[in-house]
Amino acid sequence: MSETKWLDTRLPALESFRAFWSDPVLPRERPYLASLPVLITGALIFQFVSGLVLSLFYNPADAYNSIQFIDRNVNDGWLIHAFHETGTTMIFGAVFFSLFRALWLRSYKAPGEVLWFFTIAQFSLLLLVGYLGYVLSDGAVSYWSLSGTISGALGLNSFPGAIGTWFFGGADGPGTLARLAVFHAVLALAVFGILFLEYLARRGMEPKVTRGVGLHPYYTSQYFAAFVVFALIFAVLVFFAPHLGENPLNRGPADPLMLPVSVAPPWYLLPVGNAGHVFPGNWGSIFAVLARLAVLFALPWLDRSVPSKPAGFLHKLLVFILALDVILLAIWAMQPPSLIGEILSVLFTAYFFFHFLVLLPLTTALEKK
Amino acid sequence: MMRRLLIAGFALALLAAPHAKAEDTLNPPRWQSEGIFGSYDKAALQRGFLVYQTVCAACHSANALHYRDLDGLGFSTEQIAAIASGIKLASGPATLDDIFKNPYPDPTAAAAAFGGAIPPDLSTIVAARPGGTKYVYRLLTGYAAAPGDMNLLPGHYYNTAFPGQQIAMPPPLKDGQVQYADGVTASAAQEASDVAAFLTWASDPNLDSSKEIGLRAVLFLVFLSFVAIATKRKIWRESV
Repeated sequence: MSETKWLDTRLPALESFRAFWSDPVLPRERPYLASLPVLITGALIFQFVSGLVLSLFYNPADAYNSIQFIDRNVNDGWLIHAFHETGTTMIFGAVFFSLFRALWLRSYKAPGEVLWFFTIAQFSLLLLVGYLGYVLSDGAVSYWSLSGTISGALGLNSFPGAIGTWFFGGADGPGTLARLAVFHAVLALAVFGILFLEYLARRGMEPKVTRGVGLHPYYTSQYFAAFVVFALIFAVLVFFAPHLGENPLNRGPADPLMLPVSVAPPWYLLPVGNAGHVFPGNWGSIFAVLARLAVLFALPWLDRSVPSKPAGFLHKLLVFILALDVILLAIWAMQPPSLIGEILSVLFTAYFFFHFLVLLPLTTALEKK
Repeated sequence: MMRRLLIAGFALALLAAPHAKAEDTLNPPRWQSEGIFGSYDKAALQRGFLVYQTVCAACHSANALHYRDLDGLGFSTEQIAAIASGIKLASGPATLDDIFKNPYPDPTAAAAAFGGAIPPDLSTIVAARPGGTKYVYRLLTGYAAAPGDMNLLPGHYYNTAFPGQQIAMPPPLKDGQVQYADGVTASAAQEASDVAAFLTWASDPNLDSSKEIGLRAVLFLVFLSFVAIATKRKIWRESV
């Protein structure tokens, strides 16, 4: 009896791991882009590790100065900080791109609905974690954003019940960032849970192939190639454009007596959060974000097409225009306020909902006939 | 005859050399730290520190900087120790591990000195202003006579670069305010350019290491991506 057999009988999990690793059941023609979920997972693990190092030196009671301390006085602290900052850009870049790809390929249609729900849940959670990370920087802009968000949340005192109290701990004060640092870390961990659910859903969707290939060495080599290119983009950004898409004003310290000239958040919050000022009032921004996510969530029902039919030219054109709309809205949100900017923001926001609530159901219903 | 010509030519070359070397970085203003492969010009940083120490430090703090950090400007430890010992803190002469001296004991005292406008901390001023280095330069050289139809607030000065065009900081720089050790003429514009370079360094002291590591990392990853893609193709060719 060989060593392996002896261990197999006592640790049966080995056998299933071996099957997972090398059984030839995977389809042959997966494109490089299909490795995006693997890359996102890898980037999140990297983000978790760099965040862990930062958390050892971060002091929520004196947040801005403790980040300065990390950047200047901790050995290689500036590098870890830059990794964490640019890691966020990479993760959101990959997430936005895979959302675009799902819309383009219509992979949210049957049998992909559940996978799509998990994707949107993961996206929402990442936005929240990203926002919390942004306010933890305690800069001149994020300070005011947090103060606005908290006053909006404190206004919501009916069901779901005083979110301003149990999440933010009441009005913005010395303890707020300590709370949010904990939520930032715990919710980031929860993203891994959703990633696992996504993985299960994706496996369940996969067609059974008879003459396929194994994960190793075929897809491991593909993932590795995709990973190296991803890391190359990351390295270029982290070392040569470390503050890409950030509002420079936020690099200064928070001042409770002075509003910054521009309140633009970092780029990854713009495509969802920028509709905020289109909806008036304290709750406007919160409503705008929720409405956008809700529309995405309802997508499998809004799209009336037959699941098996591949997307036509009209559909692809519309998705392309939608992506353009989101990008333009983000660009306008970064500009200093102006009348024309306000009008365009309203138009672009309206088009976003018009696409999902009118254009998409209509064109797909017509396509079906 | 030949010899005399050669000597004359050599002397001419010597005379011309400083002019050939000192390129004009003021028209239009530019800094070596700009651009993808930018790095710090240590001579400009040292001149900028002199301006900072003589002029800016009289009213502004830079709480994120320690005197020991000045080794990033190319000063030796002895030079830094000499600089620090010339600065009088409440506890005595400054040491390497002291934070840059804050000219005011607290923000209230600073506000009182300038009619309510607190001189901002300069540690991250270049990072925290759109336009960065160039903005600081334009601000320092942007003082002018106010247009006739403009009523300035009391204690304010007209400045073309400052948002709102009214600034509480009096024009800080004038020609010959410092004496540069390396012989560069200390015009107000040169001082502004140098101190902008110094403040850029103060905001991002790790720029040089970042570019250095980055170049190696990118070259390595370019090479590795060729290897990884070739490997993937070879493995897949053999699967058929």
